[in-house]
Amino acid sequence: MNLSQFEAWLADIDHRIAGVEVTASNLNKRRNRVDLPADKLVLFLEAVKGEASFVHLSAISCVDWIDDGEFELVYHLWSYELNQLISAHIRVSRDPGEYQSIYDLYRPAGFFERDIHEMYGLYFHGAPDMEKFILTEWNGIPPMRKEFDSEEFVEQNFSWQEYNPEWLKELVAEGGGVVIPCEEQRFSRSVATDHGIDQQHSNWSGCDVSSKLCRIDSKYRGGD
Amino acid sequence: MKEIKVENRREGNILSRVFDELNEFCRARSLFILHYCTGCGAIELPPVMTSRFDMERLGVQPMVTPRQADILLITGYVSIKTLKRVMLTYEQMGSPKYVIGICSCTVNGGMYWQSYATAKKLDEYMPVDLYIAGCMPRPEAIISGLRSLIRNIELGESNNWKKYYENYDYYLGNQQKLFGDEWQTPVDVIGEAEHYGLVGEGTYGEHTEILQRVQQPLKPLEMRL
Repeated sequence: MNLSQFEAWLADIDHRIAGVEVTASNLNKRRNRVDLPADKLVLFLEAVKGEASFVHLSAISCVDWIDDGEFELVYHLWSYELNQLISAHIRVSRDPGEYQSIYDLYRPAGFFERDIHEMYGLYFHGAPDMEKFILTEWNGIPPMRKEFDSEEFVEQNFSWQEYNPEWLKELVAEGGGVVIPCEEQRFSRSVATDHGIDQQHSNWSGCDVSSKLCRIDSKYRGGD
Repeated sequence: MKEIKVENRREGNILSRVFDELNEFCRARSLFILHYCTGCGAIELPPVMTSRFDMERLGVQPMVTPRQADILLITGYVSIKTLKRVMLTYEQMGSPKYVIGICSCTVNGGMYWQSYATAKKLDEYMPVDLYIAGCMPRPEAIISGLRSLIRNIELGESNNWKKYYENYDYYLGNQQKLFGDEWQTPVDVIGEAEHYGLVGEGTYGEHTEILQRVQQPLKPLEMRL
């Protein structure tokens, strides 16, 4: 299959698998975005692997769309013959948060799915191993879920120390550094309130000058 | 020029005082850094070690095993998982031992201050002798930090390692908070403190009680290929 044959093949795929929507990228000729219903994914993957030489699954990425109550899974597939990338986007419900493993089709999926299970709590049926992977010391909710508030967790579990060296005071006196006011220090989205997460922790209890300066320090130093 | 304090030294036998001073003089001139790095600050160490800045002229050398090393350099952020390994390493090192925290991450978490996965204050888990701040500090800063550590050792002021024995309950409590109550290391810190006469007010406490309750006797590792 050459490139023109592949383009015709991909344009025709929605006739064979219902609900598949193909969007070619305008930015990059090598990228093809495919949106499809979750129950059609295995069918689609079998077709692109068996007929169109997409043998390499580079990654599975996951996006948490908390407002829609859905996880988006993106399967990135690469063909060494065509030098083309297909990213297959599906959406699965956040609750109960389970989907089907594609380990039988692509062996590397075992690791990706285990990682997604650990970070998002999305369970894959038929995956070889859904045990803890990297966060062996972690017992809380999966940390990449949007309802997990990392800053609040840090505030409750860790403490700060005074760190206010002379060179930093000089920088701030000259108007240098990036000053972040207390009320803007949270990165968490305002949507957290809609999901019933208490906002009373939003003001840092230890938000004195020194801890603020520490963060200025990290911001300032991280930028250069 | 700071004068050498003598009034805090062991009184009585003048020979032992001279011997202590000689000991510290020699110790400050032969320091071994453990060849173990966390985080990104490690990238500044090769120029410190090699000919450009050459820390060997100060008598500081890298060493491969914790049991023969004097200095533990924490060169950046310490994730909770790494901290377990760092604690195991620190407790294996023979006294006197010195901890240097390099980079902002060891002070307050640095740019990872809001991360759930990194420990914020290194000082809560082991006594730190010296911080070298910066993200990352230049080799010059590391050399200057090492020089001030050498000066402190020579003056007999760098005795933070004793704090680990004297306040073991505090450090163990912070470790248990992160690792859970089942946390134990192969090193019997309380036994060492008793043996070397370093038992302080904070050696025993509620956390060491938990440790003694859950402690499992060590078993030899199973050897298999």
